[in-house]
Amino acid sequence: MMLDAFLAGAHQVFAFDTLIYMLIGSVAGIVAAAIPGFTVTMAIILTLPLTFTMGPLQGVSVMLSVYVGGYTGGLISAALLGIPGTPSSVATTFDAYPMARGGEPGRALSLGVWSSFFGTVISTIVLILAAPPLAMIAVKLGPWEYFSLIVFALTIVASLVGNSLMRGLIAGVIGLGLATIGPDPMMGQPRLTFDSAILTPGLPFLVVLIGIFAISQLMGEVEDHGKGNSSDALIPDVIEFKTWAVMREVLMHPVNLVRSSLVGVFIGALPGAGGSIANLLAYDQAKRSSKNPEEFGKGNPDGVIASEAGNSATAGGGLIPMIALGIPGSAVDAILMAALMVHGISVGPRLIMDNADLAYGMFVAMVVASLMMLVVCVLSMRLFLRVTDIPKQFIVPTVMICCVIGAFALNNRVTDLYLLGAIGLVGYGLKSIDYPLAPLVLGVILGPIAETNLRRALMSDGDWTVFFTRPISAVLLAAALLSVIFSVRSVLKMRKKDRPATDEQDGD
Amino acid sequence: MFRKIAVAAGLLAAAIAGPAQAQDYPEKPIEFIVPWGPGGGSDTLMRIVAMGLSEVTGQAVPIVNMPGVGGTVGLAEFAKRPADGYTISQIHEGLYTANKLGITELSYKDFIPVALVTSSPQYLVLSKNENFSNLEELKAYAEANPGAVRAGVTLGGVPHLHMAMIEEALGVEFSYVGFRDTGERIRAAVGGNVDIVIGDVASASEFVKNGDLIFAGVGTEERTSEEPDVPTMAEQGYDLSMAVTRGVVLPAGTPDAIVEALDAALEKAMALPDIREKMTNAGSADIYLGHEAYKAYLDKLDGEVDKVVGKLQG
Repeated sequence: MMLDAFLAGAHQVFAFDTLIYMLIGSVAGIVAAAIPGFTVTMAIILTLPLTFTMGPLQGVSVMLSVYVGGYTGGLISAALLGIPGTPSSVATTFDAYPMARGGEPGRALSLGVWSSFFGTVISTIVLILAAPPLAMIAVKLGPWEYFSLIVFALTIVASLVGNSLMRGLIAGVIGLGLATIGPDPMMGQPRLTFDSAILTPGLPFLVVLIGIFAISQLMGEVEDHGKGNSSDALIPDVIEFKTWAVMREVLMHPVNLVRSSLVGVFIGALPGAGGSIANLLAYDQAKRSSKNPEEFGKGNPDGVIASEAGNSATAGGGLIPMIALGIPGSAVDAILMAALMVHGISVGPRLIMDNADLAYGMFVAMVVASLMMLVVCVLSMRLFLRVTDIPKQFIVPTVMICCVIGAFALNNRVTDLYLLGAIGLVGYGLKSIDYPLAPLVLGVILGPIAETNLRRALMSDGDWTVFFTRPISAVLLAAALLSVIFSVRSVLKMRKKDRPATDEQDGD
Repeated sequence: MFRKIAVAAGLLAAAIAGPAQAQDYPEKPIEFIVPWGPGGGSDTLMRIVAMGLSEVTGQAVPIVNMPGVGGTVGLAEFAKRPADGYTISQIHEGLYTANKLGITELSYKDFIPVALVTSSPQYLVLSKNENFSNLEELKAYAEANPGAVRAGVTLGGVPHLHMAMIEEALGVEFSYVGFRDTGERIRAAVGGNVDIVIGDVASASEFVKNGDLIFAGVGTEERTSEEPDVPTMAEQGYDLSMAVTRGVVLPAGTPDAIVEALDAALEKAMALPDIREKMTNAGSADIYLGHEAYKAYLDKLDGEVDKVVGKLQG
């Protein structure tokens, strides 16, 4: 029975036309994610109408290949340009970019690709083995647990602060403050908008991300122009990929790989969280458990592995509540569900029972999609690296234009472009006075989730003590406390050891 | 003399051009502004409508998602577009609540209703619990324990409106918990984090089949064909109508001929068997109201919303 369904599903996925469409989808996902400003969600929306005319499993397989490709593509611009191609690859910039600049772009890319591949595979294995119980846990979590989780996630700011704990914390607070602009997440009432049409819709998180990272990075490149060599390639001509050697290198870090993937799976399985948090959490965990935390941010392979395995594993994680319960783990999963619904397939807690071939087909499609991503990336890496051969005066304006188009296409709002410009300037300003940018972005991501769940918790039950009496919530709060203690201790230790070097920055 | 001829020729030309214009319409792609994000109810349904409209007219109908502030950002942009029939948009009950709560100045009167194309009947959904398993028991429990029943809604949105209607009809008091969309609410109900929610067939029926949730009543006049065992609210003694109805609108000032042409094209599109099937799959009842009927419907709805809107501000 199970085997029949598995074979039926596999049969559909391995049809020739499905594989061709999946290959196209994979390339499209990688390319869309590699361009800063273009998101995976966007690529999936573009494929949605096309899947209306395909069979249900075929349609979903194609979307999954876009999805998996998209979680990898972001690493390309993260490693080569220092700009996260997607929100999921913020932490990838921290170590992959210094590694690439340090003359090992091939290694940085290969590390990321292999980590992404293993991350996806590990998450798919967890999905197949443990989807129903994990989904049940995810759905039982109430606003109390979510709020406590976000409090815990906020403590990772300490790992992202760079040279100064103080400046890092200030950046985080600025991020939390920016997130309060616009309609409040509960009632939709305007806050801090000063009746201006630009601020009324709020600051979309992606616009902040593109402004803060991409625009400031690009302006930094322009600034460096006078220092010569600007029209030269950033990286030496002879590039070593050592595809297999790097695969072994990734596998030599099994603890980090598995831990990061599991972080990705769990965060992905929580509806509403997702890749943009998982990569940072996985990075934080890797840094804390490393014997040489000071190596992070300077091209440490562990940083690349953690971020890329962590974000790719959210793909399988997000499917857990969707396949087991019919609850989407992310915006992309919601679109996948809509695609299935249009075909008359009700995605719900009975999906595995009623449409077993579809569910197993999706498992097969995940594996096929990750293999395709691997093949496409390995074969085209040389091509991507040509990006670094292009003189800066061409690449900077091109990337800038992509960012602007991407920021507009997000909500099709012209006012978002003014915001993009303003935020870009703020980001550039902060960067020039050595403020780390990652805590700011983390604040913008986490602020609204924290607020929504805090208010929701207090609306459900006016009693504050519930945060401490619900066990999972209490554990998360305790973890947050420990995390703060740990960070303070390590900061004090560092201070004692020596005055910190100047280059311990978050990415650049 | 010469002038008269010119005027006559002009009139004649206008007389020919008028209908001719409508006959030619549409002669280029029609942009469809969906004021909500991708993947939601409006987006999914309107993509199917766009597909049908494109099939009937032979023109592309690209969807442009413009989400923000309860669907009002996209509509504000839409209101500024030329009234030539080449930009269309969609409204639902959410525009009424947003307007009456002061979130937007726009009201349904700022647009020309072309046709109501979908209606998703709304259900009162109970989370599985020990205290009540139908409407009567819910009423009894809520009367005995005022404010103890946690109702999941989108604050200031259509579900809030529907829940307020139920609260008033039952004469009880719920405590409200805010969620962003139907999916979030249903998830909270399945997880037992709220007790009652407003939901629809598309998002909740699988959980009902599985025994996690209970449909306590539907806000339609007659029982729905998808859930024939679920009693209507009216049957249970509460004359409530609860549905999310979505219609296509044009900017004010669009020529009548174009309104009629679009109405005709939409009617044809919504009758295509393939489109009908997809709409049903996406949880919409089989419904079509043309220009006049839709306008009358919206006016009637306005009065109904006015009656309960005071409850939303609390």
